[in-house]
Amino acid sequence: MKELLIIRSASFQQLDKNLVMIRERFPDHKLSLLTHEHGVLLAQKYKDIDQIYVYPYTESFAYRRKVRELQKKEFETVIIPVTNLSGAGFVNVFLFSLTLQAKKRFVCNVISELREISRTQILLMGLGNKLFSFFSFLCTMMVGFLTVLLLPLMLVQIESKERK
Amino acid sequence: MSAAEQKIVRPLVSIVTICWNRKAEICESLSRIREIDYPNLEVIVVDNASTDGTPETLEAEFPEVKLIKMFKNIGIEAYNIGFKNVKGEYIVILDDDSFPAKDAVAKMVDKFTRDAELGVVAFDVRNYYNYDEVKKAEASEADAAQQETAAAAENYLMAFNGAGAGVRRELLEQVGFYPEEFFLYWNEQDTAFRILNAGYQIKFFSDVVSYHKYSPQNRTSWRAPYYYTRNAFWLIWKNYPLDMALLLTLKLIYACFYYAMEQRTFIYLKAMGAAFFQIKQLKGKRRPVAREIARKLRIPFYVAFTFYR
Repeated sequence: MKELLIIRSASFQQLDKNLVMIRERFPDHKLSLLTHEHGVLLAQKYKDIDQIYVYPYTESFAYRRKVRELQKKEFETVIIPVTNLSGAGFVNVFLFSLTLQAKKRFVCNVISELREISRTQILLMGLGNKLFSFFSFLCTMMVGFLTVLLLPLMLVQIESKERK
Repeated sequence: MSAAEQKIVRPLVSIVTICWNRKAEICESLSRIREIDYPNLEVIVVDNASTDGTPETLEAEFPEVKLIKMFKNIGIEAYNIGFKNVKGEYIVILDDDSFPAKDAVAKMVDKFTRDAELGVVAFDVRNYYNYDEVKKAEASEADAAQQETAAAAENYLMAFNGAGAGVRRELLEQVGFYPEEFFLYWNEQDTAFRILNAGYQIKFFSDVVSYHKYSPQNRTSWRAPYYYTRNAFWLIWKNYPLDMALLLTLKLIYACFYYAMEQRTFIYLKAMGAAFFQIKQLKGKRRPVAREIARKLRIPFYVAFTFYR
């Protein structure tokens, strides 16, 4: 049977909706879900999900935070749910999906539209990511200098007078 | 046991919700709340000066509800007005478009009764529109006592979702209510810091469910990215020890620039500016939590950058 993995990058509330469309679009696939540890028990309620994998990190999905357990597995399809229409703000999850062996990758947006996304498109996003990162770093250096100087003073000023 | 006797045995639970111009949603939620299988409930609705006839409808159709009317939209501060007016030992916090499952309140009270260190019972908030498709936990009452239903992680802590959470009233009074200066968003996380720092636990339970009319349309306006971003800075500044606050602030500044470029918008930079220029609103409110709590509580700050488009 073909295997499909959903990366849980959206809330369970959204997944409740997305799952109906995913099931419709991929009726002959065995569904698995990758979620952070706190989501395991909540994910077990889905009768459609055959297997749950734990993302063994506290932080968000990222290319550098690979899941060893999944690296040798081959998936027919990987689904990346996003909490908006375009997928903006989810480049880290798209890049993470490249650490998985998958024939096809789909973005599932907040209104459950499924759109295929190629490896090349994700790599191009990654390239854009590098460019934005560079300029963001420069801007942060400029603003950050003032922040490091002033923020401690600002924080002292807003400190509560009450002692525990 | 008669209904009157059950009332005496079971502690009073106060349900608190707020609304603003969402008459259909709040009415549906209140209808569902009537179906809750728990004998000793009070329901408080704080109306944020709705102009769509919500207060009039609630007064006419839900006379059992204690309605408190605000003179203008004061955002999440309305919850605090509700909290000040509760009489219950436990408070259930809901959104105007969410409601607990029929058995959720009774299960919540049982969890609190069994564990004195449990400060918040975080409900498993599910999508209302898939009400029937989400397989409910099938454990019987008796099984539930033995079965572990707390959805926890070993190395980190979680906050709770304001569309379904139970909290001890005395604890909430002790640590303080929602941060009214936030107006919208991240208020649960700010409260979670203080509850955890007071030595109490926050636990999600898979068998305590609430249903939410999860509405993507609500989040496509400027409000979500703006308030999520501004309040992310404030959450850091109010709760983290100095060195951690500095580092997280720099990371967040970087993220504001990054996502402003990625999404071609100034909204994140505007929100960042507002965080700095309106910092006076936090005067007297910074209380850094224990380093262990700051390190362990999982706050998904970058969620702020996922609502714009």
